[in-house]
Amino acid sequence: MKHYITAIALLCTISTQALASDDSWLESYNRAMFDFNMNVDKYVLKPVAKGYRAITTQDIRNRVTSFVSNVNEPVSTINHTLQGSFKKTLVSAARFAINSTLGLAGTFDVADGWGLKKSETGFDNTLAYYCVPDGPFIMVPFFGPFTIRSGVGYAADSVSTPIYWGALNDKNYSAKITYGYAALDAINSRERSLDLLDDLQRNSVDFYSTVRSAYLQNRQKMTSLCKSAGTAPSYDFDFDDEDYED
Amino acid sequence: MKNKLIISLIAGLFLFSGTAKADIDATKAEDFVKDVTREGVVEIINSNASQAERNARFEKLFNSSLDLKFIGQFVLGRYWKTATEQQREEFIDVYRKLNVKTWSKRFDEFKGKEFIFKGTSPSSSPEQIFVNTIVPMDQAEPASVVWRVRQKGNDMKVVDIIIENVSLAITARNEYSAFIKKSPDGVDGLIADLKTKLNQE
Repeated sequence: MKHYITAIALLCTISTQALASDDSWLESYNRAMFDFNMNVDKYVLKPVAKGYRAITTQDIRNRVTSFVSNVNEPVSTINHTLQGSFKKTLVSAARFAINSTLGLAGTFDVADGWGLKKSETGFDNTLAYYCVPDGPFIMVPFFGPFTIRSGVGYAADSVSTPIYWGALNDKNYSAKITYGYAALDAINSRERSLDLLDDLQRNSVDFYSTVRSAYLQNRQKMTSLCKSAGTAPSYDFDFDDEDYED
Repeated sequence: MKNKLIISLIAGLFLFSGTAKADIDATKAEDFVKDVTREGVVEIINSNASQAERNARFEKLFNSSLDLKFIGQFVLGRYWKTATEQQREEFIDVYRKLNVKTWSKRFDEFKGKEFIFKGTSPSSSPEQIFVNTIVPMDQAEPASVVWRVRQKGNDMKVVDIIIENVSLAITARNEYSAFIKKSPDGVDGLIADLKTKLNQE
């Protein structure tokens, strides 16, 4: 397994370094895809998310969020192991076992009340842990913003969930299981970000630049996972007093 | 005499640079942010005052705690140097008003929440420091909120807020630079667009 991870990390490093993190050459493509995604959101995802909000209570939505979170718990378990955090691996495995049973298929986070706090991680974080660079920013149709590394991480995480294993074991319902879960996850996530995204979009003069900037900055926090990276925070930009007039 | 003069000049130079590069007081910076969050969350968001009264209180807090001229200059980036005095004044004014409007609503997200202080971290500028806080969230891991504080004399001001590693100053700078680059009216185009955003509901 370790050799497998090393091979993927090496492959990602080579491909992301070859492409470098400068994505200016992708900007016109990214902007076109961003407009496409915004239209999909405007005419499909957002109205569905609003409808979901209208027909459910906050408590029901909290149960759905908890269920989705529990489905993704094995992804954290696997990746804590790959990152050598064995204590977190045990906590994550225990959380999955407890919440899947006593927490009624993960709809309640019973483990949290017992002091087993959630610590989310994924294959993207594991690649960052092994110092794989991020690569350029790419807007993927229907899926949204990615970098090469986050794209590889997303694909690996998707095949590490019980939903994927369940679909593999039940060929008759595999499509219904995977697409049903993907739709639930997408609608639930979109509903949770309805107010924030509306607010950001309303007050932004160039929404693509806002999304790209925020996405890439947020990802910079993973840099600290790589031991050989510097310790200065990414937001400690040059804000030199001498350049400014009071 | 000549040697004395040189020594005095060197001493004066060191004294001057010592004053200019004086390190910011970490405890004072943390206390300052504690006051800002207490006033913002406890006395404004969690209060039972009317929305209009809360907005007025928030605007007062915003103006007294944030160095908006300093932030505005950073946000406009290289375009600040080429902007006319009138453009600079108009930009700072509309930027301040837009931020008051958006943040008086966004701060509601922190209703009933508590900022937990996690010490300070140095910044690359000796007159600035990062005050680290976390905010426990429902159904998610705590959110990290870092406050960049600048000291000028005895005065402390917030010059950036970094939420989950996303700096509001950097994000605005990237967004505005991209807009000005594309806009045929440059900085005037940006000011006009921000005014439109300010006036829309």
